[in-house]
Amino acid sequence: MRIATSLACLTMALALPARAAGLPPDAAVNPAAPNKTLEPNVVANSGRLEWVPFKRDLTDWPTLSHEDKRSTAKPRKVKLSQPLNGDPARGREIAQRSDKGYCIVCHQMPGEDWPGTVGLNLSNFKQRKYADEAVFQLLFDARVINAQTVMPPYGTNNILTEQEIRDLVAYLQSIE
Amino acid sequence: MRKTCLIALLALAPLFAHGAEPYREYDLAETYEPHVSGDMRLSGSYRHWANPGNLDWRMAGNPDENWKLNWKFMDPPFNSAVHGGHFAMDRGELLFKELNLKGRFAKCLGAGKGGLKGLRARYPMYRADLKRIAGLEEVIESCAAREGRVLQNGSYDNSAVSLFVAGRSNGMPIRIDVGKGVMRDAFERGRTLFHTRAGKLNLACSSCHTHQIGLQLRGTVITTPYGDAAHYPVYRTKYFLQSLHLRFIECNLDTRVQPLMPGSRAYTDLEVFLTGLTNGYPVSVPSERD
Ligand code: HEC
Ligand code: HEC
Repeated sequence: MRIATSLACLTMALALPARAAGLPPDAAVNPAAPNKTLEPNVVANSGRLEWVPFKRDLTDWPTLSHEDKRSTAKPRKVKLSQPLNGDPARGREIAQRSDKGYCIVCHQMPGEDWPGTVGLNLSNFKQRKYADEAVFQLLFDARVINAQTVMPPYGTNNILTEQEIRDLVAYLQSIE
Repeated sequence: MRKTCLIALLALAPLFAHGAEPYREYDLAETYEPHVSGDMRLSGSYRHWANPGNLDWRMAGNPDENWKLNWKFMDPPFNSAVHGGHFAMDRGELLFKELNLKGRFAKCLGAGKGGLKGLRARYPMYRADLKRIAGLEEVIESCAAREGRVLQNGSYDNSAVSLFVAGRSNGMPIRIDVGKGVMRDAFERGRTLFHTRAGKLNLACSSCHTHQIGLQLRGTVITTPYGDAAHYPVYRTKYFLQSLHLRFIECNLDTRVQPLMPGSRAYTDLEVFLTGLTNGYPVSVPSERD
């Protein structure tokens, strides 16, 4: 009986609309869709705004809504366990892919014709002689080093997996 | 059983706690002035685009320099090419005339004796009927509903009417008073929101628009937030017509922040903030952007 009750409760809790999880009522979502986040599609000569599923589910992170009472994940200090075991070739791919690190949107890296200039030029990173530890922390969560950083917290916010971050460290350390 | 569930749910409640203030991070605060000339202290590019009729065409044609014109060379009167924004304006006029057969629609939008002239330059404004501050597109939606017509905020037809109305103020400087009362409160909330980090990448609007002006995100150069509000809704090749709130949605999605509905309070506060930074700059429609 107790198990049945808990199961029933769990189902009830899960069936609650997305708002129960803290999503504000003014978020553009369809709670029933697999990727709850919606994107507007302006239809010419129509008084209705069409909404289509967005390629990513963004509902887990704080929005700009006044009614969003969710917290930002706090800065996280991490320790890198050795050996690094990173694959530079995979790291390079992760740095370029828009669905992965997309580092080139901000940084200059070798072989990139049209890189961003918002971040520092990383095209001779090896010469900086950073310890793997420090680079790992910087990519996992740079806020620990600089509270005002523009670098996204790739580890803390699960943008990349720990292995992917290891691959990136290996790649950066290989850029002569 | 219901009661057990209630107790179980209550036990879960701390997970969704609303009591304590959430932990949020803010980008470095900046002083902004509620006038377009405030950009002289931010990016300094204002000197190049202060006079829309008289831009340096050499800069407009130079890919390394054109961002310093804040893309104003794609606004009228500098840009005289016919584009989708003109067709939208024509449709907006048609819709407006249909809605205003009895003269009620214009009055609802706030038109006085001078008709629509100057109206766009005063939005967003406090609306007693809505009991809140609203942008022109939100008011168009609500006034159209009174005439029995659906013109959803952000839809093509809503923005088309907005463009037509804005056209009647073309060349008139944006003039909203954010110095007192509810408008000042909204401006301050908008400023805070502009500096609030959000989303999966933990970026604020200001992470780019205040602190990285003139730098490149791949092929796109970030420009100043001053002076932008005067050319909305804008013709975009990708979106046909984009209202300012839909632009917020685009920037949110690009930086992996869950977007809000057009007309939401937060977006309206951001609109008040950005329109404050556009005070003194002339309404310029129909504009075009890539
Ligand atoms: C949204 C812009 C942005 C993105 C995306 C971004 N960075 Fe950065 N990065 C910066 C900025 C700006 C700095 C300069 C310091 C700061 O803000 O922390 C920086 C600093 C760095 C540094 C420190 C350089 C030094 O010498 O101190 C490294 C290493 C780095 N980024 C690597 C990466 C990698 C690898 C990725 C992708 C996984 C990435 N960045 C994605 C903006 C970005
Ligand atoms: C990662 C960078 C980034 C972030 C964060 C960002 N934007 Fe943008 N935004 C851009 C770029 C790049 C453009 C296109 C170039 C330009 O006009 O500055 C743009 C364009 C705009 C425009 C259009 C300007 C015009 O002249 O039409 C507005 C308005 C705007 N952003 C508002 C915002 C707001 C509000 C936020 C926060 C909710 C935000 N942006 C967050 C990068 C960003």
